[in-house]
Amino acid sequence: MLKLALANLTHRKIRSALSVLAVAIAITLLLVLVGLSRGTLNEVSNRMQSVQAEIIVRDKHFDLGSMSGGKLWEKEIADIVRIQIDDTPAVEHVMAVFLDRMKLAGLSQNVFGVHPEDFAFFAGSRRLIKGEIFSDVDSPSAALALAEAKSNRKIILDSASTTSEPLNYLPLIIDQRLAAASQLAVGDPVSYGDSPAKIVAVVETGVAGRVFAPINMLRGANGVAAQTAHMFFVKANPSLNTDQLQKLCEQIHSNIRRDATLVANYGQVIAENFRNLTIFMNLVSVIALVICFLFILVTIYTIVLERGKEIAILQSLGASRLRVLGQTVQESLIICSTGTVLGIILTFVVRYLIETLQPLMTIEVRISWILIAVLVGIGGGILSALYPGYIALSHDPVEALSFE
Amino acid sequence: MSDLLIKTEKLCKTFHHDGIKTPVLFDVDMQVRQGEFVAVMGPSGCGKSTLMHILGLMLSPSGGDIIIDGCSAADLNEAGRAKLRREKIGFVFQRFNLLPTVSGYDNIAVAERIRGNTVDGQVDNALAAVDMTEKARFKPGRLSIGQQQRIAIARAIVHRPRIVMADEPTGNLDSTNAETILELFRQIHREQGITIFLITHSLTAAQYADRIIYMADGRIQDIG
Repeated sequence: MLKLALANLTHRKIRSALSVLAVAIAITLLLVLVGLSRGTLNEVSNRMQSVQAEIIVRDKHFDLGSMSGGKLWEKEIADIVRIQIDDTPAVEHVMAVFLDRMKLAGLSQNVFGVHPEDFAFFAGSRRLIKGEIFSDVDSPSAALALAEAKSNRKIILDSASTTSEPLNYLPLIIDQRLAAASQLAVGDPVSYGDSPAKIVAVVETGVAGRVFAPINMLRGANGVAAQTAHMFFVKANPSLNTDQLQKLCEQIHSNIRRDATLVANYGQVIAENFRNLTIFMNLVSVIALVICFLFILVTIYTIVLERGKEIAILQSLGASRLRVLGQTVQESLIICSTGTVLGIILTFVVRYLIETLQPLMTIEVRISWILIAVLVGIGGGILSALYPGYIALSHDPVEALSFE
Repeated sequence: MSDLLIKTEKLCKTFHHDGIKTPVLFDVDMQVRQGEFVAVMGPSGCGKSTLMHILGLMLSPSGGDIIIDGCSAADLNEAGRAKLRREKIGFVFQRFNLLPTVSGYDNIAVAERIRGNTVDGQVDNALAAVDMTEKARFKPGRLSIGQQQRIAIARAIVHRPRIVMADEPTGNLDSTNAETILELFRQIHREQGITIFLITHSLTAAQYADRIIYMADGRIQDIG
C-alpha cells in the first residue's frame, strides 16, 4: 500500500511538491520565529556567561535591559575581596565595568569600559583576531585634562599609549559580528558622541560586550568620578563549590548591599527582567506552532478530500475504514515528513542568510525545537489526515464512484 | 448446504436529500443461485443499480434484508460488510473505477493486498484470463476503454469471488468492445463457475445471461 501512496504522490508531482513546500514553509516559519524570538536574548545571556567569573554584582536599580541605572564604586572591591567562606579567601579577582552607549552599525551598542588588564577575563578563550588590547589613563580626570589641553572640543587622549604621541581618540575593541555588520576594521575611525574614536582590535564573537573601551577614559568622557562602575564580575576561588558560591553571593549582598547573582543563573535573571518579553516570545512560539499546524491541516485536508473517488474504490474492494484511513495517513505522513526535513534544512539556510546579511541578529535553532517541529510535522500529518479521511469515508461511496 | 447465494426479503430503499424523500426500491424479493448468470434489465432510473449496490453491501437498505451466502446483512456491522465484500464479491463498474495512479497490474495487486493476500501468480492468472498480460504495466490512462474494462474484470475475479456484480459494464463501450467484454463474462462464468449479476438496459447484453430479471419503478416486474 506504500506503493499506492507513493504512486498517488508522484502522479501529481507539482501538487505534491507544492504540498511538501507548504509544510516546509510552515516548519521553517515555526523554527525561525521561535529561534529569532529567543536567539537574541539567549545570545546576550551566553555572552555574559562567557566571562571568566562566577558572580555578577550590580545595584538593585541597575537595569539589565538598558544596561544602565544605579552605580557602584570600585572602593567596594576591597570589601568583596576580603570575604572568606569557611575560613578560606573566597575571591580571587574583581573586575569593574563602567557602561556607556554609542552608535555603531546603525544600532545603539553597549560599550563595556574595562581595565585593560581585565580584558583577558572577558575574552576568555576567544582571541583577538586583529589589533592589540588598548591601554588606559590613570584616572578619568587625567583623561579630561589631557583632552582639554589638546583641544577645545571634548577629546579623549590616551596618554598611556605606547606610541610617543598621545592618541586623540577613544580606542575601541569590537567583536567580530559587529565588525562584519558595521564593515569596520582595525584602524577605522568612528564617532563616540562628538568625540573621535578608533577601532584598535577585533575580538572573536562571544565575548560579553560587543564594544570594549578603557574604563577610565570612558568615565572621563562621561564626566563621572573615578572608581565609578555599573557592575562587578567576581572571579571566585576555584576551590569553592556551588553551595559556597551561593554563600559568597549572600555574603556580598550582606556586606555591600548590592545584588549578587551567579553568572550561571544570568539567563534566568535576564528572563525575569524581561518577563513581558518572555511572555511575548512564548506567545510568538505558540502562535507559530498553531499557524504551522493549521498550515499542515489545510494542505492535507485538501489532498484527502480530493481522494473521495479513490477512497470509494478502495471501499468497493472491501477495504475497511481503518485501512482507508491508514492509506490517507500514509500519504499525509510522506508529505509531512518530507516537508519537515525540508523545513529544517530551509531553517538553517534562512539562518545563514539572515546572520550573513544581518550579523547582529541571532537565530537559535535548538535540538528541542527541532524535535517539537518534527512532532508538529508528523502529528499534524496524522491528525490532519484522520479528520478529512473520516469525512470522506462518511460520504456515500456509490455517489463518489459515479463522479468522473 | 443450499446453493442459494443471494436472497432478498422485502428490500426497500428510500433516499433522503434535503428533507425530500425519494423512494427507489419497493419490497424487492429475489434470489440468485450459486453459479447463475443473472441479468437485471430495466429502463434508466428503475432502481437496478441501487439494487446492485445494496446487494454488494455498498449501500444500506431502508427496509428488508439481504442474505448473502447464508449471512444476513442486517446482522453485520460496517467491518463485517467490508469483509463480506472483500472476500465474496467482485465489482465491475460502467466507468471502470480503476486507480489512475498505478498500473493495471498494481490495480489488481492493490485489491489482493486489501484482502491480505500475497501478490503472486493469481494476478498473472487474472490478467491472462482477460488477455491483458502484455499491457498490464500500463497505467489506465494509457489503455483503451475496452482494455480498462478488462483490467477491471481481472480485478473483480482475481480472488475467485462467489459473485461478480457488474453495473452496466458495456455502457461506455462500442459494440465490438461490448461484445468482447460480454464474452469474457460468459467465459468466466463457464470456466470458473463464478456467479455473474449483470445490470444492464441492453437486451443484447442481457441475452448473455441464463436468467433475466425485469425491473420497473423500483419493483421486480418479471423473472424470465
